[in-house]
Amino acid sequence: MTHVREELTALLDGALEPAERARVEAHLAACAECRAGRDRTAAGLAALGRLPPPPEPSPQFEQRFYARLARERTAVPRGPLRHLSWRFLAPLAAAGAAAALVIGVGLRERHRQAFIADHLGLFESPELVASVGDVAPQDVEVVAHLDELEGTP
Amino acid sequence: MVGDPDAELLLAFQRGDASAFRTLFERHARAMVAFCNHFVRNAARAEELAQDVFLKLHQAAPRYQPTARFKTFLYRIASNHCLNELRRGEQAARRQVRVRPGDEPPDLDALPGPAPTPEQEATGGALARAVEALLDRLPEKQRVAFVLCRFQGLSYDEIAAALDTSVPAVKSLIHRATVTAAEALAPFAPDGEVLP
Repeated sequence: MTHVREELTALLDGALEPAERARVEAHLAACAECRAGRDRTAAGLAALGRLPPPPEPSPQFEQRFYARLARERTAVPRGPLRHLSWRFLAPLAAAGAAAALVIGVGLRERHRQAFIADHLGLFESPELVASVGDVAPQDVEVVAHLDELEGTP
Repeated sequence: MVGDPDAELLLAFQRGDASAFRTLFERHARAMVAFCNHFVRNAARAEELAQDVFLKLHQAAPRYQPTARFKTFLYRIASNHCLNELRRGEQAARRQVRVRPGDEPPDLDALPGPAPTPEQEATGGALARAVEALLDRLPEKQRVAFVLCRFQGLSYDEIAAALDTSVPAVKSLIHRATVTAAEALAPFAPDGEVLP
């Protein structure tokens, strides 16, 4: 015998389709366990009916609401952005920030390349290269013989 | 929607009739404060939440489609708002009771609730507190479905529309919450103690 515990609340709430209701009621007629479950649920629901009524809103509730509504309406931004929420503005702001970052990095790299081009002659001086702390002696040798290397096919 | 006078009022408000919104407010304000009170149990805060809901309704009115019943439209806004409030409150409670490393984790259910009002003490105070404790114990989806069904009088179909879920899912949520309620409220049943 398949019990109908899962259907008992819907039965008491009148939320079962007629065929389903008939099946559940037929089962209840034959099953004391499910009948007890139905009675426990019905008693719990009946207890809810004994609750005191909910408290009334305060007398100023309506007045306060309309005052707040008036404030909110005057605080709404004017102009074309009025209908835009942060849901739309946030991605736009993020895209703008990303574009600014890309442009900034690009400009910095371009500036570095221009600086190297302007000072290319300095890198051909073996004395200057040797004065830089981290340069290996063989690199100084290469710079000293740049003219010969440039002539090599 | 045909046969839904509140939906007609909201459509009238869409067309510029401000008095239609006032009528909707008058009809539903009291129930909305009671609904919000089931989530915060503080009269002043419940009124603020109810105001929030009506402000959102005012802003959302232009998007209302008459395919939905007004009540489901209103309680969809209210349910989302109260669930968000519940989550904010739980986060705040966790922050307040954050303990030092090595201490036992706090039991949120054991925290003291708001003091009962004299009215509650006079009539059905114990039952009201038992219902409050019950609602606190329910998972949030069960809680909102139970409140919509038992206190606001929405049908399973209306609750499914308000919570954006299926009717079988609502049936299951309400059944589980009602079984828990029946156990918790057995001592308050009209016939006295209910035998197991």
